[in-house]
Formats: sequence, C-alpha cells, structure tokens
Amino acid sequence: MNDLDKLRELLFGAEKQALDSIKQRVERREDRAIDVADILPDAIHSSHKRSKDLVESLRKPVGECVRQEFHDDPQTYSDALYPVIGPAIRKSIMQALRTFSQQINAAVEQSLTPRGLKWRLQAARAGVPFGEFVLQKTLLYRVEQAYLISRENGLLIGHVHHDAAKIKDSDAVSAMFTAIQDFVKESFSPDRTGRLESADMGEFTLWAVHGPHALLVCVIRGVPPRSLRGQLSAILERVHFRYGDAIRAYTGDTASVADIEGELEKCLRFQALQKKDSERRRVSVPMMLLMMALVGLILYLGISRWMHSQALNRLIDTIQATPGIYLSESLREDNRIILRGLRDPLAPPISELATAAGIAPENVDAQMGAYQSLEPEIVATRVAGIFGNPPGVAFGVRDGYLVVTGPLTQELRDEIRTRAPLLAGVHAVRLEADGAEPEQAISERDLARDKLVADLDALDGRRFYFSSGTTLRTEDGDRLAAHARALQALSIAATSLGARLRIAVTGSADGSGDPAANRRLARDRATVAADVLSAAGIAPATIVIRAAPAPEDSAATDPELRRVTIAVDLVEAAVPE
Amino acid sequence: MTLITSKVCLVGDFAVGKTSVVERYVNNQFSERYLTTVGVKIDTKEIELPQHGITEKLVLWDVAGADRFGPIEFAYLRGAAGYVFVADGTRSLTLDSALALRDQIMNASNARPSVLLLNKCDLVSAWEIDDARVEALHDHFDSVFRTSAKTGDDVETALTRLAEVIVECELRSGR
Repeated sequence: MNDLDKLRELLFGAEKQALDSIKQRVERREDRAIDVADILPDAIHSSHKRSKDLVESLRKPVGECVRQEFHDDPQTYSDALYPVIGPAIRKSIMQALRTFSQQINAAVEQSLTPRGLKWRLQAARAGVPFGEFVLQKTLLYRVEQAYLISRENGLLIGHVHHDAAKIKDSDAVSAMFTAIQDFVKESFSPDRTGRLESADMGEFTLWAVHGPHALLVCVIRGVPPRSLRGQLSAILERVHFRYGDAIRAYTGDTASVADIEGELEKCLRFQALQKKDSERRRVSVPMMLLMMALVGLILYLGISRWMHSQALNRLIDTIQATPGIYLSESLREDNRIILRGLRDPLAPPISELATAAGIAPENVDAQMGAYQSLEPEIVATRVAGIFGNPPGVAFGVRDGYLVVTGPLTQELRDEIRTRAPLLAGVHAVRLEADGAEPEQAISERDLARDKLVADLDALDGRRFYFSSGTTLRTEDGDRLAAHARALQALSIAATSLGARLRIAVTGSADGSGDPAANRRLARDRATVAADVLSAAGIAPATIVIRAAPAPEDSAATDPELRRVTIAVDLVEAAVPE
Repeated sequence: MTLITSKVCLVGDFAVGKTSVVERYVNNQFSERYLTTVGVKIDTKEIELPQHGITEKLVLWDVAGADRFGPIEFAYLRGAAGYVFVADGTRSLTLDSALALRDQIMNASNARPSVLLLNKCDLVSAWEIDDARVEALHDHFDSVFRTSAKTGDDVETALTRLAEVIVECELRSGR
C-alpha cells in the first residue's frame, strides 16, 4: 500500500466501506429481491391510493395470469368457485320456482270457483296470463317496482322491477314523481318540510322513503303492512352507506352507481294473502255441485243398468220356468232385449211374460221359432184341446201317462183310450172314475205299480226250448238265465210295492214214446227251468211247477213241444202272520 | 358507450312553443292546436355522442310558461344540467322574458349550459328580432338558434348542441 492509498484510506475509508456494502447489495440478486419484497406491499398500497395507474398496469398481466391458470388448472378454480356458484344458482332457481309455483297453486285453486271464472274473463280482457292475474289478485302485497331517485335533481339512480310489471320510461316516471313531490311540497307545506310519503292509485300504492340524498319510491300492488316501510328504510340506509358519495354527487353517470340494482332487488318483496281457515277448507259450490252431479249421474247409470239387468234376469228366469218355451240366446243391444229360441203356440206369449217381469214389451224383440213341446203341461193342454175341453174334466200328464179325471161319457172314454196314445208325449192312458181323487192325488206308488204290471206283461208267457231230454238249447239257456235275472229284479220291485210275483213254469214234451215218461220229462223240464230261476235268486215259493198235458197225437215229434213256458203275474203279498 | 342521464329544463314565456319544440324533438310531430302546460311535462330522448363515446339520455322538463318564476317553478329547475330558453321570434317581449328568467335562474343557482331558441322562424313576415340583437345574445347563451317547431328547423341541432355542451362541461368538471 503506497502513501496515496494510505491517504485515501484515511480520508474515504468509511465511505468506501459503505459504498462497497451498497455495491454488494445492488449486485447480489438475492439481496435485491429481499429489499423489493420489503417495500412492495407499501408501494402497491400507496400507488393504488394515488391513482388508478397501477390497476391499469396490472390489468393485462394479471388477467393473462388468471386466464392461464384457468386453462392449466381448472379444477382448483372450480373448487374455489363451487361454494359461491352453488348458492347463487340455487337462489336463482328458488326464486324462479317460487314465482312459478305461486302462479300454479293460485291458478289451480281458483280455476273452478265463480270468482276464478270471473278472473279468467278479466284476465282475458286485460291480455294478462291467467296465472299472473290470479297471483296479482291473491297477493296481500307485492312490491312491483322500486325507483331510487336523486333528491337533488330528480334523476333516476337505479330502477328494479318484477318481471311481469309493466314498465314505462323509468327516467320520465322518476322525473315526474319528483315534480309531483315538489309540487305537493310547495303547494301544501307552508314551511316546505312536508313530503309526499304515499299515494294510492287503484290497486297500486306508492310509498316514498326519504334518505339524505335519495328517495326510494316503491310501487306496491295490494295492501302493504306497516312493517314494510321499516324494511325499505333499512334498504335505503344501506344504499346510502354503500353509495353515499356517488348518490350525493349523482349527475346522471350510471357508471358511478354500478351494481346498485343488487341492493334495490331486496325491495321486491311480496306476501301471499292469508286465507281464513274456514275459507281454506271450504270446497267451492260449483265444484261441489259438479261432483254431486257426477256422482248422481254415475249412480243413476249404475242403478238403471243394474235394474235393467235384474229385469232381464227375471224375464229369463220366468221364460225358463214357463213350459213350452225354449230360450237359446238372450242379449242386450242398447236398451232393447233380444231373445232367440223356440215357442210352442200353446205357451204364453213373450210380451205377456215381459210385462210380468216389469219390462216394456216394446223393448223386447223376441225372435222365436215355432215347435211342439212335449212338456207335460203343454201336452195336457194340447190333449184337452183335441178332445174339446169337456167341462169338469181335467187332463194331466205324468211320466208319459195321460191322467184324465172327471165325468166322462163312455163314448169319450173310448175315444180317449183309442186316440190319446197316438199323440206325442202320451204313452198310456189312465182314466179315473168320476169323483175320484184328482190327478194330483195319484201316488208315485200307483205309477210304480202300473209300470211293474206293464213290465210283467212284457215278460209274461216266454218260451224256452230244449234240444232233447232236459238239455236246453244253447241260446235258450242264455235267454233263460237273462229272463231269470229280469224276473228277479221285478220280484224285488214287487216286494217294495207290497206285492209278490207268481211264476208258473209249465214244461211240455212231444208225443213220441211213452206218455207217462213224456209227462215226467215235461215236469223235469219245468223243474230244470225252475232251478235256473231259483239260482237267479227268485224265491222258490213263488214258483209253481207244472207239466203240460201230453199232445193228442202220440206220434207227434214237433220240436216246438220240447219247451218250458214261464207265466208271471202280480199278486198282493200275503199279510204276514 | 357510457350512458349518462341529464336533466334539461325548457323555460320561457307563455305560448312561445316550448311544448311544441319538445314534441317535435321527441316525437317528430307538430300540432297547430294550443294547449297550455300546467305545472310541468316530462319527456325523455336518448342521443348518441360518438365523439365522446357517450349515450346521453335527456330528461326534458317542459316547465309551464311564465315571465317570472315562483317557488314551484324553481323547485322544478333544481338540479338541472342545462337549460333551453325559448322565445317567440315574432314577439320580442318574449325574448325579454327569457332574458329575465335567465337572470333569475343565474342569481339563484350556479351557471349551467344553456341555449336560446328563437322559435317560430317559419313566420318570416312577423319576425321582430333583428340580426344585431341576435348577435348580442351570444354573450348570454352557449348558442342561439332560430328554430321552428312547425317545420323542425334547427330543433334537433339546438338540443344536440346543448347535450354536447353539457357533456363537455361535465367532463371538464372532472367526472
């Protein structure tokens, strides 16, 4: 170090150290960053306070940064915005739904009442949707519009309104309201301190709430509660708090009061009309009448249909119970009943039966073919007609028997006996003596006995042939066995009627050979046949064995004579001892 | 475009044609029928001022005619951004009234942009105001126009001019 350096050290040593230190700070990037970081917040703050240049300078780069970040990392931003966007959307949807449901509820509720119909007419005349009209009518009140007006110059600072409210030129309205306000104040307030606070116009009420620099004028439909004024005052106070300077100096620059509508929106309140409980529960008279008419109609249709179907069933039952009519089809077309089938001319006419069943004959269309009925009643009527309906004589048919009671001439008796069995439905004739029990008194027992007698008549005198000796011809052996079974059955029937059979078995033989031997043979043949009968279960006591006398011609060998003949008839049973 | 709203008051003596001027300006219509204005009548009209990037909505207060204002009229004038003084060019007395009203207003409040409309210029033969007097009026108003609400002459020009002056004034005052 030379003298000069020493001198410099002595003179500027301290400054040099300071300079070195500064140089070091300036040259070292880290130190510079720390210095800038220290003063940056204060610098931003004071710059922003002084002018808007900082905002302008930052707008582009910050905007670019935000855009870039949105692009690179949308998730983070969507997460960050979620809590804000959710409630905002919800609020908006809720508001829309509330209005919508209000309209629907009111419209549905009012749709069928007389008042509803009247409103519907009025709404159509006014060209307003019915839902909106009903809403207007059923609201206790609704703030339709809110004007925020400068007190200084009457200029409109902000205006909000309900969607459906009819809006005129809001600036003109605002100015005119101010003019009216001034007029009223100058004309009617001696000290000019009075102010117009409310005005009524038909269904609307105007409420003016006065603030230091602005006037809040609300157009209210219906009858607002007193508490609403307090709420509106609170909103106006808040507007003054937020926009006080801008409102005070407002000269028509809308940008100076941007977003003020957000505050004013809170004025658009409404409250539905509270119904009395009794009114709420009451069903409208026309609705009730309509429902009653409907129920009545349903009942009438149901009952008349039921009665009609009952009458039809009655008619069908009557027809089915009436002899001489066969019903194949019954159906209903509109109010007419169509019947198809067959009808005996002797049966009562369908129209008569319909009247009896309570159905007008003109409503019944009977398409009946003619036929001859074999039902006993009809047969009896027919027979009576054929024999000229003799007075005092009753004709009846049972199980094919024509039973005739009453005073009959011999001639008529003979005619009935001869002609009646030829008629369809009559198998046999039974004539009762005059004064006998009437037809209805004939017992089942008598009929069974008659039938037994008829059956026995059919079996009486059957012959069965032998080939030789006591050997029956094969086919006759079978016939005899069947005959024995038939007799056995009739024997049981006879017993049940309190009678018994009497069976006579008569054997025969031809004339060849010894007549005594032939008589024995004849008896033996009868015995063989009797044995067959006994084997079938017929009591031997009822069987009588006989031998037929030998033929006159001893040489006769007619095989017809080699037989047995079985005769049968009915005898009253012996009274038991 | 920025939207600003300005209150403009039309003042002048009876039957000078204030309402007709507004009717011509706003609705481009004219009626020979005279209907006196009671109190105040309000109309609005928007005009574009592209040179300033502004849409200006004029709220026109058509104040009932008077040769002197009372308290009610003054209440109507409160906060006006500009004035349209209207006189009937065929009745020079109405010009005196307009000047008197101007003085009255200037004494009561701050100076505001104003234009003078010498109306009914279509009635040339009855015209009473000579050019020298018109020239002298320029000292008292921002602009002076010979207008006719009947033919529409210079009505729009006059109102547009006033709108421009108002905006320029507002811009100067540091809006």
